[in-house]
Amino acid sequence: MQLFFQTLVGGIGFGAVYALVGMGFTIVYRTMGLVNFAHGQIAMIGAFLSATFFLDTKLPFAVAAIMSMAATAVVGLAIEGILRPLEARDFDLMLIGTLGFGVVLEAVATRIWGATGRAVPAPVDRPLQIFGIIIRTYDLVVIGVGAVATVAVWVLLNRTKAGAAMQAVAMDRDAATSVGIRVGRSNAMAFALGAGLAALAGSLAAPLLYVTPSLGSSLGIKGFCAAILGGFGNINGAVIGGLAFGILDGFAAGHFQQYSDTVTFLVFAVAIMVRPTGILGELTVNRA
Amino acid sequence: MRVTTMSRRWLLAVSACTVLVVVAGCSSSKKTSGTTSTPLAAVGSTSAASGGASTASASTASASTAGSSAAPADTSAIKIAVIDAQSGQSSSLGKWEYDGVKLAVDQANAAGGINGRKVELTVFDDQADPTVSTNLARKAVSGGFIAILGPAESADAIAMSPILQQAKIPYITSGQSPAMPKLGDPYLFLNSPTSTTYDTTLANYAVKTANFTHIAMITNNGAYGKGEHDAFTAALKALNVTPVTDQIVTPDQTDFSAALTSIRQKNPDALFIGAEEVESGLIVKQARGLGIKATIIGAAPTSTPIFVQTAGTANAEGAVSSTPYLTNDTNAQTKAFAAAYDAAYGTEPELHGAKAYDGAEIMLQALKTTNGAGGQALDDAIRAVKYQGLVGNFAFDATGVGVHETQIGIIKNGVLTAAS
Amino acid sequence: MTRKAAGLVLLAVLACLLPHQLNIYWIHVADVAVIYGILALGLALTMGAAGQVNLAQVAFFGVGAYASAILTTHGWPFWVAAIVALLAAALVGLLVSIPALRVQSHYLGIVTLGLSLAFTNLVTNTALTGQADGLNSLVVPPLFGLNLSSDLVYYYVEIVALALCLAWAAFVVHTRLGRRFRAMRDDPLAAASIGAEIPYLRITAFVLGAVFGGVAGVLYAGLIRYVSPASFSLSSMFFVLAGFIIGGRFSLLGAVGGAVFLVLLREELSNYEAYAQILYGGLVVVIVVFAPTGLVGIVRSVAKAFKRRTERFSEGRAQVSDEASPTGLSARPYRAVRLSDGGSLAGVADSSAALLIEHVTKRFRGLTALEDVDLLVPAGQIRGIVGPNGSGKTTLFNIISGIYAPTTGTTEVFGFRTTRATSYRLARRGVARTFQNLRLFGRLTVRDNVLVALDQSRTIWAWRYLLWPFGVLRADAVMRQEADALLALYGLLEVADSLPGVLSYGTQRRVEIARAMARRPRILLLDEPAAGLNGQEMHQLAEIVRDVRASGVTVVLIEHNMGLVMSLCDQVTVLASGRVIADNVPEVVAYDEAVIAAYLGESSGDNGPRPAQVNT
Repeated sequence: MQLFFQTLVGGIGFGAVYALVGMGFTIVYRTMGLVNFAHGQIAMIGAFLSATFFLDTKLPFAVAAIMSMAATAVVGLAIEGILRPLEARDFDLMLIGTLGFGVVLEAVATRIWGATGRAVPAPVDRPLQIFGIIIRTYDLVVIGVGAVATVAVWVLLNRTKAGAAMQAVAMDRDAATSVGIRVGRSNAMAFALGAGLAALAGSLAAPLLYVTPSLGSSLGIKGFCAAILGGFGNINGAVIGGLAFGILDGFAAGHFQQYSDTVTFLVFAVAIMVRPTGILGELTVNRA
Repeated sequence: MRVTTMSRRWLLAVSACTVLVVVAGCSSSKKTSGTTSTPLAAVGSTSAASGGASTASASTASASTAGSSAAPADTSAIKIAVIDAQSGQSSSLGKWEYDGVKLAVDQANAAGGINGRKVELTVFDDQADPTVSTNLARKAVSGGFIAILGPAESADAIAMSPILQQAKIPYITSGQSPAMPKLGDPYLFLNSPTSTTYDTTLANYAVKTANFTHIAMITNNGAYGKGEHDAFTAALKALNVTPVTDQIVTPDQTDFSAALTSIRQKNPDALFIGAEEVESGLIVKQARGLGIKATIIGAAPTSTPIFVQTAGTANAEGAVSSTPYLTNDTNAQTKAFAAAYDAAYGTEPELHGAKAYDGAEIMLQALKTTNGAGGQALDDAIRAVKYQGLVGNFAFDATGVGVHETQIGIIKNGVLTAAS
Repeated sequence: MTRKAAGLVLLAVLACLLPHQLNIYWIHVADVAVIYGILALGLALTMGAAGQVNLAQVAFFGVGAYASAILTTHGWPFWVAAIVALLAAALVGLLVSIPALRVQSHYLGIVTLGLSLAFTNLVTNTALTGQADGLNSLVVPPLFGLNLSSDLVYYYVEIVALALCLAWAAFVVHTRLGRRFRAMRDDPLAAASIGAEIPYLRITAFVLGAVFGGVAGVLYAGLIRYVSPASFSLSSMFFVLAGFIIGGRFSLLGAVGGAVFLVLLREELSNYEAYAQILYGGLVVVIVVFAPTGLVGIVRSVAKAFKRRTERFSEGRAQVSDEASPTGLSARPYRAVRLSDGGSLAGVADSSAALLIEHVTKRFRGLTALEDVDLLVPAGQIRGIVGPNGSGKTTLFNIISGIYAPTTGTTEVFGFRTTRATSYRLARRGVARTFQNLRLFGRLTVRDNVLVALDQSRTIWAWRYLLWPFGVLRADAVMRQEADALLALYGLLEVADSLPGVLSYGTQRRVEIARAMARRPRILLLDEPAAGLNGQEMHQLAEIVRDVRASGVTVVLIEHNMGLVMSLCDQVTVLASGRVIADNVPEVVAYDEAVIAAYLGESSGDNGPRPAQVNT
């Protein structure tokens, strides 16, 4: 029983991370029509920045994470300019182009921070004991922060003018322009938001894993799987898919130990074949 | 019909090419392969300009002509390759190894080199990938290198064995997997004790001195980890002890909650880790986060600063390490080495740098014996070397192992100290 | 043509002479490059020709290498193990193709990427594969006493293998199977509508790519004689993908060349790993943005521009050049034939209705596109379907041609129940169609467009590629003759070698009809065939439709041009808001009150003067 709950909590913890990656990725897709496979590498950059602020500049973990989100958002604005021409290409080319860009980001990170990587201690590391079940406190922190971020994003998109503008652009770019929305600026903001979420995901994941340039690849792939599993283009889907994928991953690791990746991705492939539109159904974007 | 004419032309072209190829292939298979036409440009070379060496060696050349034949003294550089991971997760390891080797070679060159000839080091990045290292082995053969120092990864060393054996290039590796001496490769030497030595000492300490009764194991299934796993299990068996659990992880895994949860359920008092430095550190960090209070015991990786750094100083406290190189202050030799290392690189050395330094020193000694020649002569010379090194007394046996004992250290306040 | 063959022979000669200039290290690098070239060739087939995103290619590479290694380690003879390894790779390719039947594009990319990771994870942990350290000291392949442990000799073996692989890949791409692949890549919907069995084609594409990956894997095991998971990682996958894209994803030589180029580049920069990655990652982005057809595409456009400039200097030949008409190349004027065009449909007095639609309703998530529609089209009729925009006409066509299944109701074609049949199944039953917004295969020539449709064979016919290639070539020659006859009939022979994009709109429409007719259908569905045509072209269209009917084909057309409908159709069905509001001969329908109200609105009151009959 204890094993089950511990695995569940751990799985939800990772699920929150994947949900954040998936959300950022989906927001960028919904607003700009860009399927960005370099999104995981952006999360990795956020992780490195956060680790640097936390370990070198000795800032408190939360402050380091927030600063990393801001810095990564700024970096995201620069990246958006480079990726903009890809939006006009078909999905296959977008996939390949952004994959290539991801390779570049990974190599740049290696040059800046080295290849060995950094271990980030968790800000809270005492395990919690609830009803005889030992749970990593940090897992609960991650889940909590993830939930708060999800609500904040929802509020931003549905209750603010900027968010409404982003959604309008996603539905119909020309109509949005004709009502006075600055599409370019809205897109840049959307990308920055996506990058910020990615950085948050990376910062939260850092103490759970190990910050290396290759972290982006694994977070990215799992984040995309999460987004597709929940329903591609559906922001709520990204959250559900993230949690589902995290739990799948956690239980696969628990039961199949080293074979967890094999099992996880096989189950994912079967799930997508059974229901290609994902759990909540996909929302495609009208790309002019 | 167009199609058939087109296809006929294609068929003709393909057959012509095939005939050409077969003829060319048959004729070249009779040629002796391995002729080098253009030696490769050395990358990352550390030699003093070979032009400048000639003047410096002119004086020493006259000293050596007394013992040499009537032919003029050879002043060309002696080429040694350093093959190690310079990128990827093991790159810090590769850097320490290279620094240790370079220190030894610089010191030797400053003292006049090998009978007047300078030693030229060239470093190659094997990315801790066995396939890349096979590539580099061929590169070394065609590049005129007569000896290799490294690699640190046992899998890479094993991969290179057939190629280097054929080319008669001896190499002193820094790995410790028992699979290496089992190869029976006469050109392969280890500058480190094998996992068997490490783990027998460790097991004896754990069971007899520290009186641990519930020992859990977690190892990875890479060459090093597997070697550690097998050696430690055998050592425990010899003491009639069975581990309470035996968890296997992969070398690039970063989340160990599944394995550690199983371990915690067995409530061990000691946890044996058979993984590389960074992975060991991550395992300890996550173990402590899950409330595992067992004493950490391990071999060489748990003695390094990067392990302490990755695990976190508080988490690594009390970790037991079996290692041949405890501290830089052990004796006069280590103190001198540490001072020279610090002067050259601005940091304190540790086990890997010391191992590499010893390996380089042995190689240099052997080269002096053969007067800079390689091949079988160099191989025999290395085997004949008796050397009191930083990590132990070297006396190579037929399988290439030079050091046969280690010591026990305990991490206190982030620093390795000798166990009392 | 001869120039291309001569260029290839030259390349072959250079490839043979190359090793004599290199030392053993660079020969080894060349060996590795050729292996990656063959691997990229597999990608060129799966992704480049068939349009299936295949990020599992490195896993096929691994299956080939590991299968060969495991079997030889257990004492199997090398070449027997090699064959088994290829079969294993083909089997894995088959399994990986199953997701491709359900998802495409970036979904398929992620799924195949995940399966790649699953493969790496599997071999890293299984004892049989040597776990993380792999299998070493593999045997040297024996070959008639040649010393294959010499990288130099191995090079020649590899060159032969590469040549054979290239030749076979070119053979596939330029004949019927490859044409079907390319049609599926360019427009899967249209490809299905002309009978391409999309699921089987996708499976075949993956199996082919996997076999090439397997060949590369076997060669790899024989060369390096060491296999470990690190060689089949994600970064290797991106590496091959980058080579394939940079070289040119629609060109076989481009794929090989790109991979070879990247291997050499990476070797040159071997001590600057990070910079090498930035370089080839950046190259991929640049190529995707500025030159999506890769380096080969750049070379081709340069060559074309050069050729055009030299042509301009040659004097007054009546060449059909791009400047001939501002709107593009045009077809010859159509000459009415009024003969039955052969086939088993001439003068068919079929008692069963060509098309029978009963109580068909189609709902899309709350929107009712069609409501209880009944339609009976007797054989040999020209039937018109008209109605205001949004009345459900194209939806009806989509249901008839198998793109949608109706929510309720049934459809029958010549007595066969076809309610839930797929597009390609319906194509085999004799249903052919054109599309409202033109769905020609953009990267296939006009002749190839027609050839794909002419091909009536089932996908299983493809076994001949492996075992009886001469049959394939002969069949292709026969089809070419038929295609030329058809093109001549439709006045398209002069533009047969052009890509559809350079043709005038009217000509493109005619190509689409010719393509549909190449199926020798029993029913032809034309979706707004007159849209965008001028008066003369419309006249020709009417001639074509009449000739088509005269040859025994039932025609159903959706049209907005009332004059055309009135003069051409035997009977007209009017749809409005998803319902049939009139169904009669044109003269009656034209004055039906409900029809006029639907078009002009209720408030139009008095119907005004009777519309005169307009003759086109």
